[in-house]
Amino acid sequence: MGTPDRVNLGLTSRQRWRLTLGAPIFQVFQTVSNRGRDRMSGIQRFLSMRPRRGTVAALAMLVLLAGCRADQGGKTPGDGTPSRGTIGLSVMTLTNPFFKVIADTLTDEARKYGYEVVVTSGEFDVARQRNQVKDFIVRKVSAIVLCPTDSKAIGTAIQEANQAGIPVFTADLACLAPGAKVVSHIATDNYAGGKEAGRAMIEVLGEAGGKIVVLHYEQAESCLLRVKGFTEIIHEYNRERQAGKIDIVAVLPGGGAKDGGYKAAEDAIQAHPDLVGIFAINDPSALGARAALEKAGKADQVRIIGFDGQPEGKQAIKDGLIYADPVQFPDRIGRQTMQTIARHFEGEEVPAEILIPTALYRKADADKDPTLQ
Amino acid sequence: MGHPRFHRLLSRLLSDYGMVLVLLLLGACFSHVTWDEQHPTGGEAAEQLKDRITREFSPGSAVLVVAREHGEDAIFADSLERRLSDAGMNVLGTVKGQPSDARGRLEALSRSGAGLDAIACTDVTGRWAVFDRLGDKFPGLSGARVLTPPSYRWPNFLKRDNLLNVANQIAVIAILAVGMTMVIITAGIDLSVGSLIAFSAVVCTWLIREAASAEAAGPLDMVLCGLGAILLCGLLGAFSGVMVTWFAIPPFIATLGMMLVASGLAYILAEGQSVYQVPDSFVWLGRGADFLRIPNAVVLMLALYLSAHLLMTRTALGRYIYAVGGNREAARLSGVPVTAVLIFVYTLCAALAGLGGVVMASQLKSGSPTYGLMYELYTIAAVVVGGASLAGGEGRIFGTLIGAFIIAVIQNGMNLTGVESYTQKVVLGAVILGAVLLDIAKKRGWGRLQRAGPA
Repeated sequence: MGTPDRVNLGLTSRQRWRLTLGAPIFQVFQTVSNRGRDRMSGIQRFLSMRPRRGTVAALAMLVLLAGCRADQGGKTPGDGTPSRGTIGLSVMTLTNPFFKVIADTLTDEARKYGYEVVVTSGEFDVARQRNQVKDFIVRKVSAIVLCPTDSKAIGTAIQEANQAGIPVFTADLACLAPGAKVVSHIATDNYAGGKEAGRAMIEVLGEAGGKIVVLHYEQAESCLLRVKGFTEIIHEYNRERQAGKIDIVAVLPGGGAKDGGYKAAEDAIQAHPDLVGIFAINDPSALGARAALEKAGKADQVRIIGFDGQPEGKQAIKDGLIYADPVQFPDRIGRQTMQTIARHFEGEEVPAEILIPTALYRKADADKDPTLQ
Repeated sequence: MGHPRFHRLLSRLLSDYGMVLVLLLLGACFSHVTWDEQHPTGGEAAEQLKDRITREFSPGSAVLVVAREHGEDAIFADSLERRLSDAGMNVLGTVKGQPSDARGRLEALSRSGAGLDAIACTDVTGRWAVFDRLGDKFPGLSGARVLTPPSYRWPNFLKRDNLLNVANQIAVIAILAVGMTMVIITAGIDLSVGSLIAFSAVVCTWLIREAASAEAAGPLDMVLCGLGAILLCGLLGAFSGVMVTWFAIPPFIATLGMMLVASGLAYILAEGQSVYQVPDSFVWLGRGADFLRIPNAVVLMLALYLSAHLLMTRTALGRYIYAVGGNREAARLSGVPVTAVLIFVYTLCAALAGLGGVVMASQLKSGSPTYGLMYELYTIAAVVVGGASLAGGEGRIFGTLIGAFIIAVIQNGMNLTGVESYTQKVVLGAVILGAVLLDIAKKRGWGRLQRAGPA
């Protein structure tokens, strides 16, 4: 803030600040809340007053108001396309870039069809996500897209949307509550992805085989499918062989996070010093396991297969920390979700489940990837 | 200038419940920014649309009515069909359902070659993409026009449904905040309430599944299971109270321990899963609305606030609670049973958290150990925004209610205006800081605020 003219009316800096920022509002509050100083002019009174709760509150409100306005202005759909209404999206958490990508691509794709998207996040709190759905219902959004924070407890919110006649779609994470009607579920084909991970494990271990562990996250339906696909492939492989079998010696909880993966891998190396492979159900737990292996000096002995293909995971594959990842495509999930919504409103029958395949991503792919350094 | 008594009242209101003003301003602000097109529904919409169709089309024109199948839309469709027939229109049929149903009917009409003049829709079905470029998709229907009921303008925020929504959304936190206000007035703090929500929700649903007959449980069974959960939480609270008084553990530490214990117990009992084997009628408390269409949870919340207000202002126990928080030693010397009062307050706070957990379990029709994450912080925020001082001895029950509503209105308003959730956190945090700043300013005077620094 520059001060172009220094015309000093004998005011202190604080008085000047008040004069420029809030004279009109302060005056209103002053007139209602101040008595017995009738001889002073409004501005004089205002300059000599001590701020009250109301005045500060009024300023806060102004700031807030400005914020709301700006935000609304930024979300109007592009010119030329007719406005069809709003789509309410509530993801599990925006702290995970995976959901951020889903939200961003869905928003971009929606603009092409003339919808605007309101993005909210349950941040792992199903009660909060339910409130967001209720707000969507009051706003009368055209459709609701959810990545449920809890596959069972979100059911009542979906039922309320059903009653209000608003179609509900789920992306990435499914709703398993009975009685809740979801038009279509769009997600990664985790089962096939798990099989890919199994094949990658067979590929990296080669003829020797050996002991491996799985770092699981049993709370998530998607991870159950990944591990199911993985173990099926490994068992199938073992059935045909006499020697060099791959032996899953333990399935440990890795928490889906770095610290959990670290602890689980540390324990696994203690229990099985001759470990040769780890399959982690996502990148953070895979990287946690890698840190434990490096600490134990076994980074070369134990090969890791991850899952997800988040930027950090891809970088780790390029640097040779992880052998390979079946990568998910959150952008395709977001785009496909919007296309499914559009087809629904076109009056087409849409499938109840749309699975997006994963692709195996190895070092060779990482070397060609322009997004990595 | 106006009446002096009015001024006195206003200035008292401002100093006692200055936050009321903030709440009203917030309401005004969100009403302004959510000023939006509204669409009449049900019979009213049907009447208006009939007027429009009879004005624009001659009698005998062919009309198709398209609405969704749920409540208001179904009323609209039936009523419109009847009115149009009475007005001499040729109603070819009524579609109640999905876009695909509308498409099927349009295809059939197009094939039959009957011709169609108008498609009467609600505002929602009128925006379905299936009606775009009608002539290209259904060559027989190129002349048909899509008509919707006329709209009017009104803030989304001020709709009855939304205001009830706000109250309903904050009910659980507001219920917790009653107990928290009392604890904070005694200069204590209770960090365990969030975990107790999870614990209570799990205990309640677990009891219904294991002790009562799961999905077949009767109303009495459910009430007993709920009371059992509340009682257990009360016991845990009494334990915290004993830790705070007899063993003189600081409340922060004692309840921090309880927070971990309760959360762990909830996980153990639920085996890390959600417990959802409860009857459909279990949602009565959380989703029902029997009295004047006000949600039951909100009625419960208001009743609790009224009783707590009476307790704090009209009874000896209420004065004891203020006295203990104002100056514990002075209270003890003047014969206040300090230990008993403190244990009571922690027990009540935990029992109310238990009640909040039962309400939440009912709202979500399941119990899960992940409920109540960060709720202790929202609750403390509601109490502090409501004007209670963390130093104790000061605070009003209804102030807390206002504080809870401020938080709810901000969250709801930001959801309605589409403020993204990162920004929501920043605004909420700023409001809490602002409220505490105001509190300090009120006590010390604004001029001394800056100089006081870290005391």
